[in-house]
Amino acid sequence: MRNVILLRFGELFLKGDNRHIFESMLISNIKTKLSSYDFKFEKTFGRYVISDYQASLEDDIVGELKKVFGLYSLSLAKEVDADRDAIEGIVRTIDCEGKSFKVSVKRADKRFPIPSMECAKILGGVVLDNYKTASVDLYNPQIEIKVDIRLNGKAYIYVDEIKCQGGLPLGSAGKGLLLLSGGIDSPVAGYLIAKRGLRLEALHFHSYPYTSVEAKEKVLSLAEKLCEYVDNIKLHIISFTQVQEEIHKRCRPEYMITIMRRIMMRVASRLCDKYDLGCIITGESLGQVASQTMQSMAVTGAMANRPVFRPCIAMDKEEIMKVARDIDTYDISILPYEDCCTVFLPKNPVIKPVASKVEKEEGYLNIEDLVDDCLEKEEVVEIVKPKQ
Amino acid sequence: MIYLDNAATTRMYEEAVRVYNEYAVNRFFNPSASYQAGLDIAKQLNEVRNLLLKKLGAKKGTIIFTGGATESNNLAIRGSMRNGKYEYVFSVGEHPSVYNVAKELKNQGHIVHFIDLRHDGQVDYQKLEKVLNEKTRLISVMHISNETGAINDLAKIDMLRKKNAPNALFHVDGVQAFCKVNVNVDKYNIDFYTISAHKFHGPKGVGALYVRNPSSLKNIVFGGGQENGFRSGTENVAGIMSMLDAVKKIDIDKNFEYVCSLSKKMTDILESDENVEILQTESPYILSVGFKGVNGETLMRALQDKGVIVGIGSACSAKKAGNRVLESLGYDKERVKSHIRISFSEDLQLQDIEKAGKTILQTYREIWEKVK
Repeated sequence: MRNVILLRFGELFLKGDNRHIFESMLISNIKTKLSSYDFKFEKTFGRYVISDYQASLEDDIVGELKKVFGLYSLSLAKEVDADRDAIEGIVRTIDCEGKSFKVSVKRADKRFPIPSMECAKILGGVVLDNYKTASVDLYNPQIEIKVDIRLNGKAYIYVDEIKCQGGLPLGSAGKGLLLLSGGIDSPVAGYLIAKRGLRLEALHFHSYPYTSVEAKEKVLSLAEKLCEYVDNIKLHIISFTQVQEEIHKRCRPEYMITIMRRIMMRVASRLCDKYDLGCIITGESLGQVASQTMQSMAVTGAMANRPVFRPCIAMDKEEIMKVARDIDTYDISILPYEDCCTVFLPKNPVIKPVASKVEKEEGYLNIEDLVDDCLEKEEVVEIVKPKQ
Repeated sequence: MIYLDNAATTRMYEEAVRVYNEYAVNRFFNPSASYQAGLDIAKQLNEVRNLLLKKLGAKKGTIIFTGGATESNNLAIRGSMRNGKYEYVFSVGEHPSVYNVAKELKNQGHIVHFIDLRHDGQVDYQKLEKVLNEKTRLISVMHISNETGAINDLAKIDMLRKKNAPNALFHVDGVQAFCKVNVNVDKYNIDFYTISAHKFHGPKGVGALYVRNPSSLKNIVFGGGQENGFRSGTENVAGIMSMLDAVKKIDIDKNFEYVCSLSKKMTDILESDENVEILQTESPYILSVGFKGVNGETLMRALQDKGVIVGIGSACSAKKAGNRVLESLGYDKERVKSHIRISFSEDLQLQDIEKAGKTILQTYREIWEKVK
């Protein structure tokens, strides 16, 4: 008998001829995620099996696997030879005292002589013999004992099915640039889009000395948290101080944010060109603030030379906060350091900007030079998942 | 670097570092041990107690060594609490190590009064008088404000207590005052006085609480019974001996006069700009300065890049938004945000102040030009 972890993948089932590409990415991602552990990986039809790991590290390994995009669920199982005595031996150890239970048998290997239904009945009898106060409930059991007899001549017996991330294997959708501000929304946007298979680089604008060193440190911490899911992030940090000072000096205050965000989009697009990134991701949510109206997004998005993905667009703040708590970025995001979007904040920002008027205001600036300056001052930090 | 945040902490005297090292490496014995080396250390600690009592102007009472001012303040307040319908009085200008303890007492259901400050930063004595009564158990007011440098009139508070709250104990947080101005706990009938070594060139993690009458206090931590049971835990001998060295070295009157000249120099330079506002208070060691139209935090960061270190209020709470003390003086949010804290030490030179003052003004004007 061996303790093993059974892994199931989700949407890959839907893939046709490309399935092997997705699968090999998923397997490679699993192995990367578990690179600091000793284990054995096997592929059986429709399942992966992790075995031969140190028992005391099982919880840690499960924790890691739960952060792999593309895995649907996992179970901690006992693996035995597909032999009636061996299977009964394991079923006997599952404590059903005082509980209702059900046994489900799947027999992929038809060489196993007992049909599924009959096998379930026999094993149910084993449980009832061993636990006098156990009772059968086929519809709403407290414990469901699952027996999976596979083509490799092994049977897997398990009770719980632990939900994993779902989604698609990291990297299967390419790589994009996340605008990471330090707030609650942008890390959530990064996580959600990464779940659809996108690897991430990130871009942060700071306005030192108007913003603090701590505000920058906070973004490093957020990127580190995201690395628990995306393994590594190249973080591009760009000083936005001069841009904001120039806009403040030359343009009407109500256009401050619109122009700022249009320049951010231009800088992001240039970085996408430079580093061959396929899209821009933002944490915008429709109507949340003045810069996140449909009209604002139209005039800022127009500056992007790539698709702009906004995974939080239809989410309420509460929903975004829930995801932020789930991925453990919330507590970092709410640290009270000002980010560059709160500096030079006008009292009445324009809510429905019109492109022609914004362009007129931008005419007072030397935008190309400002964007060039931003890129010249780029600082790049390679973020990886912190060691446990 | 010109360091102007001495209210946050000070550089240790080199001799105090040597003493620390001597007691950490060669005379490291536990003062509770019964062999001679331990007994010798215990004796030396008692000598330190006597010297501190003398420096505090106390003819009676005792000194309890602690891990710093936060612990001393907690011990004085929570250790003097008693069951029953007592009332506790604090100023709103207290350091978080007092203010947050007071809030906790209130949350626990005790009657707690917070006294506003006057425009000059001192506690509002009229409002204080109004809340004092026979049920008042404790009055806790700081000697010198860590935010503004305002010096509270301890004689007046003592007089109000005698008149209105004869049963009240009087705690003074003297962190920004001890070794900077002369202290006389007997003169003002102070029951508890808090001091912290790192504010006067001693080591961090060492402080003390003066206690006039030990029967008025109960311990709040339990353990081996050190410090007459008031503060269990092995004494930080090296820290205490090093603190003693710093105390011995300081000449309060000479330093005060010298720091006055530093403070005046800085004031003269900064006040040459009409957009600069200096909160006038009595302690020359601390200046709270407002720069119209500029965020103090921005100025602080721009100054650090030019080698001038200033503070933006209590380092223990600088990371939190707002400033309770300045707000209580009636400042609006913009005005509060525009303030920085400049705090001096006698190890600064006049030319440092001249250079720093000019840098501060120039940096302020540069930022003002960009943000106005």
